[in-house]
Amino acid sequence: MSPRRSSAGGRVDRTRTIRFTFDGRSFTGHAGDTLASALLANGMTLFGRSFKYHRPRGVMTAGIDEPNALVTLLKGDIREPNIPVTEIEIYDGLNAVSQNRSPSLAFDVGAINQYAGKLISAGFYYKTFMGPVIGPLKGTRFWMFCERFIRRAAGLGHAGTTADTARYERMNAFCDVLVVGGGPAGLMAAKAAASDGARVIVADLEAAFGGTAKWSGDVIDGKPASEWAAELADELAGMENVRLLPRTTVWGYYDGNTLAALERVSDHKANPESGEPRHRHWTIRAKTVVLATGGFERPLIFPGNDIPGVMLAGAVERFAGEYGVLPGERIALFTNNDSAYAAAANLKRAGAMVVAIIDVRPEISAAARELASKAGAEVRLGQAVVAAEGGKALTGVKVRNFEAATGMISGDPASLAVDCLAVSGGWSPAVHLASQAGGKPEWDEALQAFLPPKPTQKWIGAGAFTGAATTASAIADGQRAGLKAAGILAQGKEKLPSVSEPALDPSPAPVLEVRAHGKAFVDFQHDVTADDVRLAHQEGFISVEHLKRYTTLGMATDQGKTSNVPGLAIMADARGLSIPQVGTTRFRPPFSAVSLGSVAGERVGHIRPDRLTPMHDWHVEQGARMYAAGLWYRPMIYGAPGETVEQAYVREAKAVRESVGIVDVSTLGKIAVQGPDAAEFLDRVYTNLFSTLPVGKARYGLMLREDGLAMDDGTTWRLGENDFLMTTTTANAGKVMQHLEYFLDVVWPELKVHVTSVSDQWAGAAVAGPKSRDVLAACVTGTKVDNETLPFMGIVHGEIDGVPVMICRLSFSGEMAFEVYCGAGYGLQVWEALIEAGKPFNIVPYGLEALGTLRIEKGHVTGAEIDGRTTARDLHLGWLLSKKKPFIGSAMMDREGFVAPTRLQLVGLVSLDGRPLTGGAHIVENGSAEQLGQSIGHITATCYSPALGKYIGLALVRDGKSRHGKRAVISDPLRDRFGPVEIVNHIFFDPDGSRMHG
Amino acid sequence: MVEQLSPLGPVWKPGSYGNLSRGVGVTISEIRPGSIVEAAAWHGSEKKLIAAIAKVTGLKLPDGAGGGVFKNGKGAFGIAPTRFLLVDQAEGLAERLLTVVPVDMGSVVDLSHGRTAIRISGPKAEWVLSKFFAIDFSETAFPLGSGKATVYHDFFTQIQRTAPQAFDLYVFRSFARSFWQLLCHGAEDVGYEVF
Amino acid sequence: MLITCPYCGPRDLSEYTYQGDANRVRPDPASTDQAAWNDYVYDRINTAGEHREFWQHSGGCRAHLLVTRNTLTHAISFVGFAREHGEPKHLERRKGGKA
Repeated sequence: MSPRRSSAGGRVDRTRTIRFTFDGRSFTGHAGDTLASALLANGMTLFGRSFKYHRPRGVMTAGIDEPNALVTLLKGDIREPNIPVTEIEIYDGLNAVSQNRSPSLAFDVGAINQYAGKLISAGFYYKTFMGPVIGPLKGTRFWMFCERFIRRAAGLGHAGTTADTARYERMNAFCDVLVVGGGPAGLMAAKAAASDGARVIVADLEAAFGGTAKWSGDVIDGKPASEWAAELADELAGMENVRLLPRTTVWGYYDGNTLAALERVSDHKANPESGEPRHRHWTIRAKTVVLATGGFERPLIFPGNDIPGVMLAGAVERFAGEYGVLPGERIALFTNNDSAYAAAANLKRAGAMVVAIIDVRPEISAAARELASKAGAEVRLGQAVVAAEGGKALTGVKVRNFEAATGMISGDPASLAVDCLAVSGGWSPAVHLASQAGGKPEWDEALQAFLPPKPTQKWIGAGAFTGAATTASAIADGQRAGLKAAGILAQGKEKLPSVSEPALDPSPAPVLEVRAHGKAFVDFQHDVTADDVRLAHQEGFISVEHLKRYTTLGMATDQGKTSNVPGLAIMADARGLSIPQVGTTRFRPPFSAVSLGSVAGERVGHIRPDRLTPMHDWHVEQGARMYAAGLWYRPMIYGAPGETVEQAYVREAKAVRESVGIVDVSTLGKIAVQGPDAAEFLDRVYTNLFSTLPVGKARYGLMLREDGLAMDDGTTWRLGENDFLMTTTTANAGKVMQHLEYFLDVVWPELKVHVTSVSDQWAGAAVAGPKSRDVLAACVTGTKVDNETLPFMGIVHGEIDGVPVMICRLSFSGEMAFEVYCGAGYGLQVWEALIEAGKPFNIVPYGLEALGTLRIEKGHVTGAEIDGRTTARDLHLGWLLSKKKPFIGSAMMDREGFVAPTRLQLVGLVSLDGRPLTGGAHIVENGSAEQLGQSIGHITATCYSPALGKYIGLALVRDGKSRHGKRAVISDPLRDRFGPVEIVNHIFFDPDGSRMHG
Repeated sequence: MVEQLSPLGPVWKPGSYGNLSRGVGVTISEIRPGSIVEAAAWHGSEKKLIAAIAKVTGLKLPDGAGGGVFKNGKGAFGIAPTRFLLVDQAEGLAERLLTVVPVDMGSVVDLSHGRTAIRISGPKAEWVLSKFFAIDFSETAFPLGSGKATVYHDFFTQIQRTAPQAFDLYVFRSFARSFWQLLCHGAEDVGYEVF
Repeated sequence: MLITCPYCGPRDLSEYTYQGDANRVRPDPASTDQAAWNDYVYDRINTAGEHREFWQHSGGCRAHLLVTRNTLTHAISFVGFAREHGEPKHLERRKGGKA
């Protein structure tokens, strides 16, 4: 056993040895140790190098407030930087390395920075690197030169470059009462709230519940406080209506009493269990929150207060009490308040030698005196530490007389040889979550601390969070808060545990700084000194918000948990104001560092759904190259071996023109529009009339937005008098649905119309080509498919292979074509039957590329042309604009700018140099790679047209109609594509439509 | 009648998976009801529609938002004001409903192919579902028989509690395969069985 | 932010889609008054304070809701079905983007 480890006491299991590595060296610790306690037990004092000056730093706290001792954890190739050693539970095989040092922690060349301290004080970057270039060593350009050196020298650990393979997840939870903090107050609150069946969640950021009870040495109900707390936590764990969340930091308090928490599920394990995440993000919606978050101890500011071995008194006490580790062999305490006396007594009990207690106050309470004598410590009242001495470890302190009221130092210095100085500047309630919830913390002069604001959301405070200084008051407070939170009327008969603890004075002296010569640190992690704060004041950055940004005080990963109040006190003193007059910054989430993985959850892989059509597996089996269209997967081409994409789609498109092809159109948006007012409704949302559409027929329709621009197009089928099936483009299915719902709910609630998404109800296959009717005739039963029974835009019902189908004769390709719809669960069966029936006609399945080619040849528009900027007339769809009725967009569509001749209009383009056109390229009248020219429009779609034997495209070109037959040039400098084109009518192929009507 | 093809395809793999050290946390299965139908009343005709539903299915829908009932493999629950989702193991429910829902009462849409029904049951069903949906699955907030419509990213889902520890989830068919994989992934930590 | 849907109860913001300012009055569909249409389509009063707006519970019952929300605090003082509380009866707005 290490000499620093006591033989008994604390909650570490001395029978279980755990092996881990720090900076390549092997160490052992015990089950229950943190990396901090285990390394301290091994006599380690040096844990890291500081941010700016590379000063040696040790561990300062025992918890989440740790500013100094940050390390990088290595797990395989994964590295996670900037984790406080106080938050790491050790496990066999743990591998940690120190940060911000080179080449090693003990010998760090960057430490030279501390001798250049005057040069790199607060505002160094602003003063040196901003503004005009007035010499070689100033200005923004100089920054660009220096940046890489500075980035390497200043800072924390660096992140890894390998993908994080750990599993993360998110969880939603609802409860009546959320208790944040599992100390005596929180546990009592949870027990009280749960007593009547309320659903309670208790979250504590530590591995074990109990808070200060784990090490305080108090006696509760006749047993050690740690035992009392463990039993109470066990009792709660056994209750069905209580959920205990250890290792869970509640880090955000949002609107609607919604709280965010991070549970470190398996960080403390060598290997997580199957399916177990590393971190779990909790979104908790609580009817009432009990904030029992305790408080943070503040350091005192004096020269050398960052030397390894200078620690917070509560932390030293905790290492001894909870882990059985003595951080020093000769310990002195330096305090402005009584709490350090309890720490001294507890240290003595744990076996430490307590040399002295140095107290800035001239007098102390009787209880404190008694504790000091228990500790066997010399009490030095009215004195202060004016310097801590040592390099990589504390060797001693210098003490002089100190007048608390004036800060005057006098008398000869006394030297004390100590290797650990435990300091206490009093306590600040952890008001972070209350501040996030809304409301300004309020300064309490007696406690010298900001207390929680009045609640602006539903929370109740308890324990040290409210400023309560004793365990007894925390317990009573907790019970009261728990009952109130659960809405239980306190009968006054609830028994409170009895507590035996010293009766200490809760008020500290209003002293946080001892001004003497040397660097005295306020924000340890960002190396902000007391002089930096005064420099900010001197240079006019006197508001707390400016102070924070100018010095970076409180902006490190610890978010100023130890530095906030001392920093304000120094600024207040400099300005001659009181602390509340200077004010405090608002706390914002997160309360402490949050892993990005937990926020993202499982948003890789599975989280982006793949929408699949009923025929998806068939496409894949046939070698289709699938293409993500929004969430949908659609075949791009069905490539034969050795075929290029162009060869494949040309083959497929040609087959459609020459014989027959089949394409999966299941992705089209489909909306059931039903009700006695359905036809009237469609008349209002489409530009053309649908009330005149006979049952059993379909019609092509166009929708505009309110502003008169085109929104979407598609066919709508009248299946019955009051029953329509609307189709939309694949991409706009959701948008159109929302558009319809908006008008039915908000604008025309009197219309009796229901709209329901049936996109997934129907599988769709378009059979297109001169032989398409023959294919249907070969497999459809129950109806004829001849021209009389099934004319253009007609609908029939029949069966294919015993499956009921609905067939509409409409064409996107320009060929005679039919869309065959059936229940999605039958989609594959019908598809295969159509393929089978098509075999004698050499039916070819075709993908999106061929579909696009066929529609470009016909000049049909899609989302590339209906781009939110084009009008119906721009797209030559003016014939769809009914003059017989108003419709959505009709009032705005004829505005001046929408009918101007300079509008971009849809045209066709033919490549004159025999090379492919590029989508998105600009069209110019004259231009070249050297002289790009003035854009007159852009290309929306391109293909090789097998029907024309040319590369063609569609484009939106200014005054395009009048340019038919004229030449222009495409100008695409990004892809280095320039060349002549001819502007033509947008319908390249079969302009009179004889093929589809035939 | 012809049998519907499951949208799950190759991702449906019967067996036991995940961390089974504490037993099977949930069972996940595709239940394949013959009929899934949405029925909606015009405002003011809700009571008439509820009566018509009772006539055809024998299910008496309770009053109130999201109210529902599940009996003998038949289910009904409110999904929106005046709208209900109805499930029957037999095919043809939409046709049967149309005989009692005239056009001046409301509308009926057959979604038997459009929605996929997935059942998740077992002691950890609430736990697994809570990973995805921001709704309260406890029995007090989500009583037996009742339903809720909610969403997890792009997965729009209508959920009915069909037993104290069982939920039937209705998702759009095209999303079903992805959703199934998501659900199985989320159940790994508690151990799950697929059948 | 939570919005309490009158049908579904309190639900997370992620279930809702913002559907615009509810202080607008849609002109008569046959009206050709361009100024009125311009007001309806483009003008927003950009209130700092209580604001009437439409939200669709798109990830739930899909009903459109009229929500009165304080744009400074996010406090929601009213939620009702849009079909019952839709357009304002009177044009309670001034031009020029000021409330």
